[in-house]
Amino acid sequence: MKSTQDKNAIFVSVIESHKGILYKIANAYCKDSEDRKDLIQEIYIQLWESFDSYNDDYKYSTWIYRISLNVAISFYRKENSRSKISSPFNTEIFNIADTINFEKEEENINLGILQKFISELKELDKALILLYLEEKSYKEIADIIGFSETNVATKIGRIKLKLKEKFSQIINQ
Amino acid sequence: MNDIEIINLWKSNSKKINENLLLNKKNAEDLIKMKTQSLLSSMKPVKIFTVMMAVLWVGIGGTVVTNIFLSAYSSANHFFLYSAALQILLTAIALVIYLYQTITIYQTDITEPILATQEKIAKLISTSLWVTRFMFLQLPLWTIFYWNKNMLENGSLPLLIIQGIVTLSFTIAALWLFFNIKYENRNKKWFRIIFNGKEWAPLLNSMDLLSQVDEFKTEK
Repeated sequence: MKSTQDKNAIFVSVIESHKGILYKIANAYCKDSEDRKDLIQEIYIQLWESFDSYNDDYKYSTWIYRISLNVAISFYRKENSRSKISSPFNTEIFNIADTINFEKEEENINLGILQKFISELKELDKALILLYLEEKSYKEIADIIGFSETNVATKIGRIKLKLKEKFSQIINQ
Repeated sequence: MNDIEIINLWKSNSKKINENLLLNKKNAEDLIKMKTQSLLSSMKPVKIFTVMMAVLWVGIGGTVVTNIFLSAYSSANHFFLYSAALQILLTAIALVIYLYQTITIYQTDITEPILATQEKIAKLISTSLWVTRFMFLQLPLWTIFYWNKNMLENGSLPLLIIQGIVTLSFTIAALWLFFNIKYENRNKKWFRIIFNGKEWAPLLNSMDLLSQVDEFKTEK
């Protein structure tokens, strides 16, 4: 049996290895940077509270995606997402530069278009496109969303079409 | 941009994020040592206050009304007694629905697939509609409780007509709202006017989400 210290260490190391997931989901669901920090904290706490019931039939990433997306969609729905947890100390989990820029200007512009497109999608479509961009297989996406692989493929196909239209519209402008 | 270019752009972005994102281990460890948040502490103070007031209202009001029914029924004003009893009953129903909804949402398993979990949560939040329906059903009772036998037998006719119109209007409005406040009418203008305001945002957002779930289920 694992000691509490071991359990804490394993959990933190799992988060460390998947930190990008939390950040990218929070980024997609929250425009405001303060809300984003709150959401990351909320996801982190929910992951911790569910850690004991983690089912190793699934990959850590599948488990993290399910919880993170469920929390993000529910968080987005709340009337006031702030001050969920009050703590006497600074509980910011991640430190990151305010802006991450590519060397090529074109890449920055394209990424901006892509992020804007994602932010304008409805909550469930947003989850689908994030998983698609992360190159998850249709089977894994189906497991996370709870939808058949065929329907996942159809839905993603439609979102991709819209995305391509968006890029071509901007290029033609 | 084609599919591969879009994926590659996302990959480069992910790589940059992973390089720049640092886990603050101390905060991460401190946070998991914090006491798990209880349902009560996760609720807003104003909601706790409202629930407590409703519990007190139903508890005290229910006791008083029951005592009158049991020991002073013949001498009591029946208009007041039945209005109060119905009002308390409707508040109690609304309170039970609200508490059931709040507790069940708190206990929802968020490790389950997204579509099922979100549908469950959104449906539960939508039960707030039932709370509102029951609260509106109380409207005519507030125009009846002060009636008495003497008023009906000796009151002036114009006053009784006005009273009758008010009660009838409130009854029609209450019944109409009771039968029409439902998910299917969520996009109607009157519905949006009633549920306008920040406190209704979770309810309206839940209904939008239910529409998305419906779309997911029906689209092939």
